[in-house]
Amino acid sequence: MPAKKVAALVMASTLVGVIGAGCGTAPSASHPPSSPTASGPVSITFMEAMSSGTLKTAMQSLVSQFEKSHKNMTVNLEVEPSYGVLKTKIEASVTAGQAPTIAQAYEDWAAGYANSGAIVPLNSYVNGSHGITAQEKSQIWPGVWADQFLPDGKIWMWPFNKSDFVMYYNKTWLKKANLPVPTTWAQFASDAQAVTSSSANTWGVSIDPGSSSGAANGTYFFVALIRAYGGHLMKKGKPTFDTAASRAALSYVVHMYQNGSMKFGTNYPGQTAMGAGHGLFDLSTIASYYYNEQAIGGKFAMGVASFPKGPSGEGNVMQGTNIVMFSSASTLQKNAAWTFMKWLSEPAQTAYWATHTGYLPVTRAALPLMTTYYNTHPYQKIAADSLANARPTPPVAGMAEAIGALSNAIQAATIAHQSVSHALATAQSQAIQDLASAK
Amino acid sequence: MDSTDRRRPAAYLYLAPAGLVFAVFTLIPAFYVLYISLFNWNFLNSAQSTFVGLKNYGHLLGSSQFWHSLLISLYFAAGTVPVGLFLALGIALALMNPFTGRGFVRLAVFSPYVTPVVATSIVWIWIFNPQFGLLNGLLHMVHLPELGWLQSQRWAMPGVILYTLWHSLGFDVIIFMAGLSTISADLREAARIDGANRWQEFWSVTWPLLTPTTLFVLIITTIGSLQAFTQFFTMTAGGPLSATTTTSYWLYELAFLFYRTGPAAALAVLLFVIIATLTALQMWLAQKRAYYQ
Repeated sequence: MPAKKVAALVMASTLVGVIGAGCGTAPSASHPPSSPTASGPVSITFMEAMSSGTLKTAMQSLVSQFEKSHKNMTVNLEVEPSYGVLKTKIEASVTAGQAPTIAQAYEDWAAGYANSGAIVPLNSYVNGSHGITAQEKSQIWPGVWADQFLPDGKIWMWPFNKSDFVMYYNKTWLKKANLPVPTTWAQFASDAQAVTSSSANTWGVSIDPGSSSGAANGTYFFVALIRAYGGHLMKKGKPTFDTAASRAALSYVVHMYQNGSMKFGTNYPGQTAMGAGHGLFDLSTIASYYYNEQAIGGKFAMGVASFPKGPSGEGNVMQGTNIVMFSSASTLQKNAAWTFMKWLSEPAQTAYWATHTGYLPVTRAALPLMTTYYNTHPYQKIAADSLANARPTPPVAGMAEAIGALSNAIQAATIAHQSVSHALATAQSQAIQDLASAK
Repeated sequence: MDSTDRRRPAAYLYLAPAGLVFAVFTLIPAFYVLYISLFNWNFLNSAQSTFVGLKNYGHLLGSSQFWHSLLISLYFAAGTVPVGLFLALGIALALMNPFTGRGFVRLAVFSPYVTPVVATSIVWIWIFNPQFGLLNGLLHMVHLPELGWLQSQRWAMPGVILYTLWHSLGFDVIIFMAGLSTISADLREAARIDGANRWQEFWSVTWPLLTPTTLFVLIITTIGSLQAFTQFFTMTAGGPLSATTTTSYWLYELAFLFYRTGPAAALAVLLFVIIATLTALQMWLAQKRAYYQ
């Protein structure tokens, strides 16, 4: 056979192979039984990113407790070093047909997995005979409960590690300057302006506004501000980035940026500036508490307060992940997984998890078990109380990209000197495009 | 059958392992990318993928983001390739002359190249920090206005270019030094006997004989600059306001942040075509002027 023909044959067979690979097996969306029961022995895998320090040991301890009380069930932890790696591993394993039984997932990940039939809805488990009672349901924070649903109205996730935003401040400096701990955003801006001095190289707060690649803490602060002004990110399935509330919120940011009391940076700039004694405030999640203390290094006292209020009260953004269940698991594994998920969210385990990791209790029923802890860690109580006002970012495919447009709006109105209305109109049209492209 | 024909199967056998690795990790994935680019691809469930033909390419070519990213890539290439090339040539010429401490200077010039991009770009993020950074500290010391660097739409790209030049210059210098060492000293000596000054010696002898090396450096750095990703990923994340969103970075955003696999694959194919065309053009133009000894 001539060499050219051989080469053509090899090429053709390669392409056929490639195409064949492309049309490989797909995860099937199996329907769970209406009344799932857990029987055994059964082994499940939990892919998660609680990989270091007390997060790791607390997770291992909970699994060990579960296995002791559920002799027929084994939980194998597949620990990944970060959320980025976790996402990659989940997706690689789903594509390879070797998905874990359950995994930690953010809302927008879950939206993508649900669209692809990779995960199963949990309604029949939650509402089934082995589900949770109405009383137990009512004890879950409303924001946390709402976070488990996707726009189709089904429960696709189960709450796991949650946190929200708080305001950190230099207590020593605030006291010395005789300024009040701000309870409103107006007061926050006035305190920030009062300490801003170019000669002393001091200012109010540094934020990371994020980029088109995605949100950062500064973007979430802006989302919280929009909510404090009475706005939303989505309404009736459409993004609402350009409203009176978002214009008021962006004008507020522009005002602070222009008078020098707010500066932009990357890699937790608020923590760096506050730790160095140049910034008065840091706006970050409660998970930053220990890192902020480290940055301060005992130079001054740090205070923690809930996010200040706007005309519509406190706006806050829920952070952290939920647990999703994969469709490729067997019925036995799914039932065992639900038993584990439900057990994890019970008050005793929630209290254990929260007190050992600093994450917030997903159910109010855990609070009475944490009284001693809150006496010694009052800042955790502040963050837990704020959960009542915390809402997740809308769990729709393309939202991560759309939030990037909001990050761009912050920068367009500040560093690029565009008008607030133009910056938000651009973000709105970009968000519409992003959500449409992700469908 | 002559001896060459007899030995041919053995030669192919020796080549087979490398060929197999190349096929599995480069050739087949490349064809697969081409295939995916014709689909609205669902990477989690390929059964849900739908064939869209050349639609992904059409959308990309009609989108302002594509042309913006291409412009940003060309800005980066223009900032790193010619500047890097002439800077490297100048340093290489200087380092060919004997002077005290030459070995140390050569090491100092080359060592940034062997440092990991992620680690050193994080160090440079702090150097560029508008409030606490070394560069603004120096500007402040000499009473010059401080810059926003990576936070500024205007200065973010010059900042990344500065870092890239610092990091990659050592490689180009080494290549030029290798090229310079192959030029016979007799030719330069003959030029000097004929009365040529240093500039004439460089322009009429060294530079023409160095054209194959220059061509190599030009092609390698152009390809490298159009593929540059890591420093954008760590230093700017494409910002602020897409001021550093190169085509390579946008490809990453589409593929791995927003999971728009089909358009991302189409963008990868377009980027390949652009780089291949530019390389062919450079080779064609430069070959006409290249002088081989």
